[in-house]
Amino acid sequence: MSKLKQPFGFAIFKAAPLLLLIFGSNALFANDVEKGEKLYRQCAGCHQVGPGASHAFGPQLNGVMERVAAKVEGYDFSSAFTDAMAPDVKWNASSLSAFLESPMTNIPGTKMAFPGVKSEDDRASIIAYLAAVDVDGKLATTAEAAISADESNTEKQPRVLAADVEIPTHGVFHLGRVALAEEVAAWDIDVRPDGEGLPKGSGDAVAGGIIYDAQCAACHGDFGEGTGRWPVLAGGLGTLTDERPEKTIGSYWPYLSTVYDYVRRAMPFGNARSLSDDDVYSVTAYLMYLNDLVDEDFELTSDNFVEFRLPNEENFITDNRSEEPYFSGAVEPCMTDCIPGVATVSQRARVLDVTPDQN
Amino acid sequence: MTDFDNDPKPIKTTANELNKDVIKNTVSRRSAIKSGLALMGGTAIAASTGKIANANTPDPLITEVQDWNRYLGDGVDARPYGMPSQFEKDAVRRDVAWLTADAKSSVNFTPLHKLEGVITPNGLCFERHHGGIAEINPTDHRLMINGLVDTPLVFTLEDLKRFPRENKVYFLECAANSGMEWRGAQLNGCQFTHGMVHNVMYTGVPLKYLLAEAGVKTAGKWVLPEGGDASHMTRSIPLEKCLDDCLVATHMNGEALRPEQGYPMRLVVPGWEGNMWVKWLRRIEIGDKPWHQREETSKYTDLLEDGLARRFTWVMDVKSVITNPSPQAPINHGKGHTVLSGLAWSGHGKVKRVDVSIDGGRNWKPARLDGPSWSRSVHRFYYDFNWDGSEMFLQSRAVDEFGHVQPTKDALRAERGVNSIYHNNSIQTWHIKPDGSAENVEVS
Ligand code: HEC
Ligand code: HEC
Repeated sequence: MSKLKQPFGFAIFKAAPLLLLIFGSNALFANDVEKGEKLYRQCAGCHQVGPGASHAFGPQLNGVMERVAAKVEGYDFSSAFTDAMAPDVKWNASSLSAFLESPMTNIPGTKMAFPGVKSEDDRASIIAYLAAVDVDGKLATTAEAAISADESNTEKQPRVLAADVEIPTHGVFHLGRVALAEEVAAWDIDVRPDGEGLPKGSGDAVAGGIIYDAQCAACHGDFGEGTGRWPVLAGGLGTLTDERPEKTIGSYWPYLSTVYDYVRRAMPFGNARSLSDDDVYSVTAYLMYLNDLVDEDFELTSDNFVEFRLPNEENFITDNRSEEPYFSGAVEPCMTDCIPGVATVSQRARVLDVTPDQN
Repeated sequence: MTDFDNDPKPIKTTANELNKDVIKNTVSRRSAIKSGLALMGGTAIAASTGKIANANTPDPLITEVQDWNRYLGDGVDARPYGMPSQFEKDAVRRDVAWLTADAKSSVNFTPLHKLEGVITPNGLCFERHHGGIAEINPTDHRLMINGLVDTPLVFTLEDLKRFPRENKVYFLECAANSGMEWRGAQLNGCQFTHGMVHNVMYTGVPLKYLLAEAGVKTAGKWVLPEGGDASHMTRSIPLEKCLDDCLVATHMNGEALRPEQGYPMRLVVPGWEGNMWVKWLRRIEIGDKPWHQREETSKYTDLLEDGLARRFTWVMDVKSVITNPSPQAPINHGKGHTVLSGLAWSGHGKVKRVDVSIDGGRNWKPARLDGPSWSRSVHRFYYDFNWDGSEMFLQSRAVDEFGHVQPTKDALRAERGVNSIYHNNSIQTWHIKPDGSAENVEVS
């Protein structure tokens, strides 16, 4: 048997002062309260907080960050938990974070049957939220403002008499409501190869280069070559029949409209829909330039857009898998003596050894 | 952990050795339980019970009263949302970190070797996101239908729940499932080679009802579903398919969709590439032509050896894999009666038959299909046989109701080359060695 885990108090709290250093100051907390309140919903089934909170399956957690562990009045802690917290462990950011990571393995026998919060960030947010709740269950005022603003739109409406509801005239079941033109415009951003859906506007490769360097190059590389494992956007022309083809906008994509459409809907990664329509024209022009399709001062506009063809457009064919012999449905598979001789290994997965470890 | 690893133990022969083994397993398992730390009991326990049958010493697990026979366990409400046994901790989704640049645009895999029956538990359905998991409050979610319709509409989740709904079980397979195996055997475990498939009962509204509500114009031929996450996922789908069997699902296996599966609503496109099953569905547009979105041009097109690329390869072809034994689930019991088990599915319809070979495709025997046989749902097969302890090359081959036969790797490569990435439905080989361990191999 490999080593038993150290008893909780022993293993984790010895390290507490060090952890505190890593965790840093209270500044970390303030921003996280709102997120923490949401994450706390996974704890709320067992722990009450707020004015008048009482013990439930778990102890109430009002002001827990000011508390000594396992000492809150009126709650019957398990002996495993009490022992692990003896003599006096004070809850703070580091001790709570360590405990919450995996309560059941940290304190074998605890009643807190909860697998834990694996993400350190999430734990920090939950702790920030708990720190903002005082002993009376009041939320520190600034935090409260942020959260109640968030919740106001889920407040219960007064109930309406069923007979007073107006039934729309459209459709079969008369459900849903008519979408307004502004709403459709806000969401309908797709662009087709024939130019349908393109917004009016323009942008040039020079402006696109500035945006690209600032907002795209970190992942996609200065020349679209891709850094690390992030996608490659340029180059690879003529490599499609190579042993290792490089599929890029220039070498593989059939339509320019897809570049405009995709960048507008999904990039930059982590900040989608932040570019203006003209910015997207500029970046698209720059991506054409990186693929040697246009000169560096090229301007792309809603008027000249559909003139441009990407080199690989003609090389896409429709699905013809059904013509492959085994899918034709005419062959009865062989059942006996299908291949002569005994099987010998020609390829082994272990050789490459790229499978993640089991534990 | 050293005692509970998954490495197959050499098969012991003498009674003494057997006893040592039993005792060792028992002791370590009990202390592990006491400390609440037992992580990996499954394999070791299974291995030891197999051997106990021959032992002469009484089994202390039977002759002594165990903790759990004496002391009370948790009461109700200790687990407001029940989780699997603490001894099932390795039945989890796992990723292959080197495949992608960032976890927010990545994939993990269903532990097929840990599952039985045909339904995939919600927490184990593999994940593939292009912009992370969108966390959407259902009251803040809207579904819009626009484009070539008489009345563009907006629905809330509450509206959706007032449409007639259906319950249907379908598999969802990522088109890139087994995509790492085109060039040769690479990943050692069916979780990684075949784990981008899951099988779920959906509750949802037939898409045709929603479309009828808006009134599709006669020029409308194509449908573009769009997701509300940060990738705004889009795919072009022919209207015909949408009127046939697509659903807008709100529930999976009886409960609300999981956030990682598109809560509060996702599209279900039975038998077709998983990528088309848009999650966090927020908009459905009707048009007269396809849109050629990024996921149907740059991605999800199949490059052939001659440089041509197939597009709109929607259907997931007939496929099967043996899940037990397999590299993560070796044979621990030695020779004798052995149950081989696996999964088969076809995007065209039902699986008609699965054949199993233990000699690398020389000879085949029909496997036993068990459990429900639904169109475009996973089928479970078994092959029970007497293992003589010699090495085996296990293969399975599915045939669907239309006579489509699962091809060999060589046959598929001969038609397509090795750069297709997607739609690799070829026959998988596991090499079972005389010690019961298994490896992903190719045979000639
Ligand atoms: C399944 C119910 C359950 C869930 C969910 C749960 N807890 Fe607990 N928690 C308990 C129980 C029961 C105890 C008492 C431990 C004992 O006696 O063994 C406890 C103890 C604690 C304590 C110690 C209180 C004290 O006064 O020392 C803290 C702090 C705590 N939990 C925080 C959390 C947080 C934060 C979450 C959510 C991330 C959470 N718990 C989720 C049941 C739960
Ligand atoms: C933080 C890293 C990051 C940044 C910054 C970023 N991208 Fe991306 N980009 C990605 C990732 C990741 C993908 C693939 C997303 C997926 O899996 O769906 C991608 C995909 C793309 C693609 C499609 C590639 C293909 O082969 O299909 C294009 C085009 C693109 N990005 C353009 C841009 C542009 C233009 C910008 C700047 C405005 C930008 N990206 C900024 C990470 C980034």
